[in-house]
Amino acid sequence: MRSIDRLFEHSSRSLARHTSRRSLIAMLGKILTGAALVPLLPADRSSRAQAADAPGTEAHKPPPRKAATVKSDDPLSCDYWKYCAVDGFLCSCCGGSANSCPPGTAPSPITWIGTCHNPADGRDYIVSYNDCCGKTSCGNCECNRNEREKPMYRPSRNNDLNWCMANADSNYHCSVSVILGVAEE
Amino acid sequence: MKVCLVRAALLFLATSTQLLAVPPPLSAEHLTVTTLPANSPHRVYVLDEAFNNEIDARVNVFDGDTYERLGQIDAGFTPGFNLSPDGKTTVVGTTYFSRGSRGTRTDVVEFTDNATLGVAHEIVLPTKRAMTLPSYFNLGYSADGHFLYVSYITPAASFGVLDPAQGKVVDEIDTAGCVLVIPSGPNRVSSICESGRIMTVTLDAQGHEASRAMSDAFFDPDEDPVFVQGIPTSDGYAFLSFLGQMHEVDLSAAQPAFHPAWSLLNAADQAQRWRPGGTQVGAIHRRSGKLFVPMHRGGEGSHKQGGTEIWVFDMKTHQRVARWPLAPLKLSSAIAVQVSQDDAPVMFVATEKADVAVFDASTGTLRHVEKQLGQTPWLFLNP
Repeated sequence: MRSIDRLFEHSSRSLARHTSRRSLIAMLGKILTGAALVPLLPADRSSRAQAADAPGTEAHKPPPRKAATVKSDDPLSCDYWKYCAVDGFLCSCCGGSANSCPPGTAPSPITWIGTCHNPADGRDYIVSYNDCCGKTSCGNCECNRNEREKPMYRPSRNNDLNWCMANADSNYHCSVSVILGVAEE
Repeated sequence: MKVCLVRAALLFLATSTQLLAVPPPLSAEHLTVTTLPANSPHRVYVLDEAFNNEIDARVNVFDGDTYERLGQIDAGFTPGFNLSPDGKTTVVGTTYFSRGSRGTRTDVVEFTDNATLGVAHEIVLPTKRAMTLPSYFNLGYSADGHFLYVSYITPAASFGVLDPAQGKVVDEIDTAGCVLVIPSGPNRVSSICESGRIMTVTLDAQGHEASRAMSDAFFDPDEDPVFVQGIPTSDGYAFLSFLGQMHEVDLSAAQPAFHPAWSLLNAADQAQRWRPGGTQVGAIHRRSGKLFVPMHRGGEGSHKQGGTEIWVFDMKTHQRVARWPLAPLKLSSAIAVQVSQDDAPVMFVATEKADVAVFDASTGTLRHVEKQLGQTPWLFLNP
């Protein structure tokens, strides 16, 4: 019995040491704000409905890095709308951002192209998926989304090729998603 | 006094029992290098792309009878690999950087003796090797083993003709946008084109281009593209499409011939959107004509998703003969599948969690699950 008391005392003290009251209030605030926002945010559920029929379309979901309010708005989530054809590591989890390579890497001048639907404005966008090159695999936030992706006999639509192939240093590190423009019908 | 005597007797008894129980010292050991057991039809070569640290890919050699990990062949960065027609050599086409993860790029083909797992020799390539997912067609031997063909993408597409006996690159042949190397016969190389056609280059005896020809389109790359992960058949390769159409290509003659396409799916399967998917989307036991495919319920973009079930088909009747769900076996989705070619075939399945499951391919009985056979096991090859 005494050992159970000691265990609870130790875990309570440990929790208290590592958690401030302010952080608890902040966390509760985030949860409440998120809960209030969810019904208001615009979101296209059609693609998600399809994904629900196809569990694992995003086969390797990244560990949550931040509290995401809505997945399609979070550039650290594979569900972010621009990442509809990313098969690789998100540069936003590797020191870069959704459209910026991490420090010390070089963008690939050649890329593959995707067409992604932005639920916020209802438009389809042409997205260029450049690889960032010159360091070994980042290993964070692996995403495997392949909407309208084609095999390598359609290279400009293929995400299996290492697009660092033509770089002076052709090692693959991560992938960015850069909007090129609105897709014309 | 009596108590003292009893104590002394007990102490003596305990000590002598202890002395008697001490085993003899271990003898000195000799450091050795293990030799591989004799080759077996149930030996499988498993490519681990090591995607989280991609410069360190490897091929794990695994025994489907004893479930032993027999050894490793190093495979560098985004490798392709294949086996020689006699099964005695593993070829790995890969890339190394002079400073590990950076520096001067060297593309090379390494020839590993499968009896020792030592690299016997190598041929350095121009820095054009196709860096892409592994399949049968990143590099491959001519049927007589005289030539080795290596796919190049810069992104301009071409292929190298190598002479393994001479240890040199003989030629580079431009393929006008068609990709990969699909060998047939002693001197033909086919590639898949953006238009859904197959281009076949015929070589002369020295390994230079003698002629080329383009086939008709055998699939629609816009509506229903085929996976490039072809499956060996008795006369060529079978290509599955994203929506479950089977295209069998006969490469036994100078020009490819196409069998009528057929569907893996009946109307109910189509309504439920069953599809093949993964990194190695099928395997055929050629003698019995059984086809094994990882199937999932998916939609647009789900073609790399692993199968929740393995479906078994008869290639002659085009009928499904079995469905083997994986969840009841506590297996995650199947991303790669292979089958041995002997009379008591075993089926190997790699899962999304990097486990390798060994099945009796005749009954679907699960025999063994090898946990974490590498990090990302994406392709199985076997003799």
